[in-house]
Amino acid sequence: METKLSMFFVTRCLALVLALALTACGAPAPAPATEAPPAELTGSLTVLDWAGYDAEDFWTDFKNTYPNVNVNFEIGASDADIYGKMKAGDQADIFHPYTGWLQFYVEEGLVEEIDTSKLTNWDKVPENFKEIGQFNGKQYFIPWDWGFTSILYRTDRVPEGIDSWSALMDPRFAGHLSMWDDGPGAVTVSSYIHEYDETAITEDQLAAIKEEWIAQRSLNLFYWAGEPELVDAMKSGDIWVAYAWQGAYALLLGEGVPVAYANPKEGRNSWVGVYGIRKGTENYELALKFLDSKLAEATGNNVVNLFYYGHSNQDVMTGITDETLKQAFSIDDPAILEKTNFTPNLTAEQRDAWTAMWAEVKAAP
Amino acid sequence: MTSAPSPSPQKMGEGERRAGGGWGLDHRATFRWLIFPPFVWLGLFLIAPLLLMAAFSFRSDLRGDLLQVWTPTLAQYARLAEVGSYWRLLGISALMALGVAVAAAILAYPLAYFLAFHGGAATGLYLVLLLVPFWTSYLLRVMAWKLMLGTEGVINSFLQYIHLIEEPLPALLYNRTAVIITLIYVWIPFAMLPILAALQRIEWSLFEAAADLGARPFHQFTRITLPLSLPGVFAAFFMVFIPTVGEYVTPILVGGSSGSMYGNIIQDFFTKAANWPLGSALSMIMLLATLLFVFIAIRLINLRELLE
Amino acid sequence: MNRNRAIFPLSIYYFSLAALLYLPIAVMFLFSLNANTSLSFPLRGLTLDWYQKLFASTPILRAARNSLVVALGSSFAATLLGTTVSILYLRYQFRAKNLLLALAVLPLIVPYIVLAVALLILFEVLNVSRSLLTVGIAHSVVALPYVVLIVGSRLAGFGSSLEEAAMDLGADYPTTLRRIVLPLIYPAMISAWLTAFTVSFDEFALALFLAGTQPTFPVYLFSQLRFANRLPIMIALAVLLMIGTLTLVFIAERIRRTK
Repeated sequence: METKLSMFFVTRCLALVLALALTACGAPAPAPATEAPPAELTGSLTVLDWAGYDAEDFWTDFKNTYPNVNVNFEIGASDADIYGKMKAGDQADIFHPYTGWLQFYVEEGLVEEIDTSKLTNWDKVPENFKEIGQFNGKQYFIPWDWGFTSILYRTDRVPEGIDSWSALMDPRFAGHLSMWDDGPGAVTVSSYIHEYDETAITEDQLAAIKEEWIAQRSLNLFYWAGEPELVDAMKSGDIWVAYAWQGAYALLLGEGVPVAYANPKEGRNSWVGVYGIRKGTENYELALKFLDSKLAEATGNNVVNLFYYGHSNQDVMTGITDETLKQAFSIDDPAILEKTNFTPNLTAEQRDAWTAMWAEVKAAP
Repeated sequence: MTSAPSPSPQKMGEGERRAGGGWGLDHRATFRWLIFPPFVWLGLFLIAPLLLMAAFSFRSDLRGDLLQVWTPTLAQYARLAEVGSYWRLLGISALMALGVAVAAAILAYPLAYFLAFHGGAATGLYLVLLLVPFWTSYLLRVMAWKLMLGTEGVINSFLQYIHLIEEPLPALLYNRTAVIITLIYVWIPFAMLPILAALQRIEWSLFEAAADLGARPFHQFTRITLPLSLPGVFAAFFMVFIPTVGEYVTPILVGGSSGSMYGNIIQDFFTKAANWPLGSALSMIMLLATLLFVFIAIRLINLRELLE
Repeated sequence: MNRNRAIFPLSIYYFSLAALLYLPIAVMFLFSLNANTSLSFPLRGLTLDWYQKLFASTPILRAARNSLVVALGSSFAATLLGTTVSILYLRYQFRAKNLLLALAVLPLIVPYIVLAVALLILFEVLNVSRSLLTVGIAHSVVALPYVVLIVGSRLAGFGSSLEEAAMDLGADYPTTLRRIVLPLIYPAMISAWLTAFTVSFDEFALALFLAGTQPTFPVYLFSQLRFANRLPIMIALAVLLMIGTLTLVFIAERIRRTK
């Protein structure tokens, strides 16, 4: 029934395709379909999106192509919040979940199948990004933003460098560590360190993970929820070592703070954000146009340059010239994706168990 | 035609239609108009949602339609009974709230006193001046406050400058103490309001009489002012204590890894875990515990007597 | 009056506390002029850029306006309802009297997050789409206890003899309420209204869940905090709101003095 894609397969193919793309040996993009953009098209769309994504920079292609379409945004505070709102019957036409949560929408019939033949930019998306949005052979989501998770650290405080995820538990950094406030994230880190199978964590393993993070809590200064607080704390020197996305890395590099982004021996983690269309929406065609514009280049460039996240349009990624960004995405390291583990999709039981584990970590004496 | 004023204060002017104009509704008839809006409003927008939450706490998971009929189960409560640390955290949160409420009420009292007796014509101005900072974003204010408390912040720099300490104190931020201090700081202006209201209705003549009888100012305070202001103090205490038990924003901002309160756990189950049944069960427990506390406290203090 | 000797230490206390309250505001003010996007010392040059950008930004101003609308509406509703509850409790005897008081104070105990989700479900069931109205309703519920406590404290200090006298002179009860009771308690009503306004203006949890496509200021601020480079503009707005409010307050004081 449900396609739990073998992550090995995904990783290998993705590594192959993106490695090819990064060495500029990709297949030439077919000529874009020419159709006169109907600048007189009117209508209204509602998008349930994360905070900040309502900025026009992130849908600039749509705005320019269809200036008379009204786009409204509802803010979702988290994946759980977006999921809850969609379940509660939110009338948004489009929503933006991340890997780990996608299958819930498919299972519960909340998302519409996407007619990719109507997406002019679809061929610019690498095959394995496409597969992330596929279930049962059908395309339910289009991938949009993506990035790495790894350990970010101050090179002046940790001159010997960091090569393992276990650095997040290292007593040497007591009081200067910061972990992301997320249960599944913690389980992922532990499974990298101890080589557990992330898709099949047993009860004993989960109990051990819980104890580990309770111990880590006394070394941890605070759990960060958003990148700005992490960036501020690393800049001021309160935090030396942190679980972080490459956005924080690029930001700090740009400010001249001496930081490095680790390539741990267990491999980095990666995540992908996708857009889906609500099942039963009356604006299906308009929503498709919106998704298509989201994949376009100007929007993609803004995602990369303004937010330091990756974009699923491979032309955008190959077109990066900024040195800071190249460093942040490790673009000069063609083998990077082979060392990257992608976030798998959770089952509802796993989600409940792992989030409950994290709550018990926080509540522990 | 006129009915004699009845001795009981509750039975005012019954029955007869007056010639004095207006809608001609007497005390009792007005009751029907007065009672309707609050009960409807609260019934619809407070009770109904809470009943829905209670219902959710007896649900096993969120599968399927949100509003389908489900078979009630005690699974969530059973799960919570197993985890001792949640109960402990509830107790700690309640203790923290107690400390914050007592401190805020005590620290707010002199403010209320100042405004009630020495504010004069400018009382309104002084009052509003204290409330205006709350119209800026709490998030931003606490971010600025964190800046002052941080290891490279104003307070540490100053203390090092005057050589009181050699190394910056990490203990000002990211722990339970920081949460308590910040909460007290935030609540003082609010706690002041009921105390002020109570002080303002004390009649001056009482003080004059006492002074005439030779009472010194301190005795006037302890025998007149303090007792008469107690309803306001209790109101302030409850006003601060009860919501602080479920506080979650401040622990996130300044509490660090070990400063979580019970409210954070509830909040996480809703906003991170999408586990509404478990979150609802946790909320029901907190609600019942707080209700119990208030019930006992009211019995002890006999608030109704004070208010009437 | 012998209490005058207490003025000096008391006023020191008041002004020290007020200074402490405004200290973070002053820090924020500094940063709104700072030519750097992160909240850290040292400051990197002074600039008015952020204020300029603020006025060019319609979404921010719109969010501020939304907050104002919601706060005004909800505080008005809360004050009306809360005063009604106070009058009902202190001037009537009926069986559900204590139930009413308990209900009115209950919102204090309910975690905002619980109320937010519960109301979300309720509005779905009632098929009411989320908007500033739904946020306002939620705010009126959470502000109600404050009004009851503040107005009730004051009303409790006045017996009903004045009201009885008025009724004897021919006034009906609504008129009595309007012309006798309300003037007696109106300072507390103003105080309560201000509190309700304050509770609503910066409220985040309920607004995040119940706002539709029009965010209130705290929700908008939260959304912008994902971008470190937007932070100074938000600070500039917060500072401006403060300065604007303070100016209004001082003008009102001036007017009051000249009368």
